[in-house]
Amino acid sequence: MRNIFERVKQWNTLTRIWHLYDAKWQDPFDSAKVIQKYLKGLHKPIYHPLADCGDHVVVINCKEIAMRGDEWRKRAYFHHTGYAGGGTYTLAWELHDKNPLMIMKKAVYRSMKGNLQRRYTMERLHLYAEENVPQDIIENISSVIPQLRDVPMRLDRMPEDQVKGYPKIWDLPKDYVVR
Amino acid sequence: MSNSHLLLLSGFPRAPLQNGIGRYVPQLKRMTIKFCKSSGDSKGTREFIESKLVDFAKENPGTVVYVKPRRHRAPCVQAEYLNGEEHHISLHNMSLEETTKWINLLPMRSGRPTNLRLRKYWHTDSPSIQGVWSPFTNRDPALNLAQFPMEEFSKRKNLTKTATEIILERWQEQKEKDSTAPVQEKTTS
Repeated sequence: MRNIFERVKQWNTLTRIWHLYDAKWQDPFDSAKVIQKYLKGLHKPIYHPLADCGDHVVVINCKEIAMRGDEWRKRAYFHHTGYAGGGTYTLAWELHDKNPLMIMKKAVYRSMKGNLQRRYTMERLHLYAEENVPQDIIENISSVIPQLRDVPMRLDRMPEDQVKGYPKIWDLPKDYVVR
Repeated sequence: MSNSHLLLLSGFPRAPLQNGIGRYVPQLKRMTIKFCKSSGDSKGTREFIESKLVDFAKENPGTVVYVKPRRHRAPCVQAEYLNGEEHHISLHNMSLEETTKWINLLPMRSGRPTNLRLRKYWHTDSPSIQGVWSPFTNRDPALNLAQFPMEEFSKRKNLTKTATEIILERWQEQKEKDSTAPVQEKTTS
């Protein structure tokens, strides 16, 4: 460290950045693999396991994550109270009803190796069920992690004029009964 | 890297006082060979002193060489360096060749401790001229004024068009062609 400019340069290099991730229609397990890299700072060229260079990640729309196939019905989350007979299996859809953040949180937690650093890394993850994030969090954000999949467009959420203007190959006959 | 290495002294590979650039200062200042005149475990050391020590001292004029006989004790060589470090090497039961090899190693060392964890395998006095990386280098300037959350930044970057987009584009082209075609007919007829 030679002078005051070098000192400021170092602060600039090791600044913590806040990233935003929109989990809408995203696979939580695939997203977790990406998010954990940002939490640990693995995306930086200066990464070193001993340097404290991890970033914050704010995940919004956790309520609207998507799972593949039968995962909502088949995936079970195990919890044990510690007492005899205290084990419970909760299905993914049940857990998501009780706490919409839990599946995302567990996915990120499991994507990392179980070492002493994991709990501290997890503290840099901020999860929100919907799009509205507290002002003191949103004002820190300066970067966006791109989504892994395109968000599919829903017909009932499309604007009326866009639906009308969409190209059609043929019209249903007037006497056709939609069931 | 295992965790036991964290307790090790760490540092960068460096030459003391930029040794070897312009001039060379031998770092070994004093060497003491301790041996026994009678016992068998000092045989190689005694042979070295008889046959090679004078040549060694002539080759290294910057080094003071001491020879210290002591009765019935194992032979060793003690090396003192300019940085104040002291290295000991046991010459117990060594042949002449082995002794020569170990003693010739001493003037080549800089005197830094041998159990050093190298933080990097290289060192430079002039770091990058293009500047140190920071999270803000090569960043999209559109992010500076962005209000979050913003959908357009979250979107996956598609390098190729999707099938839906291609069909919509073709349909748009066709619509334009249809709207312009009757006008052309009118002008020609």
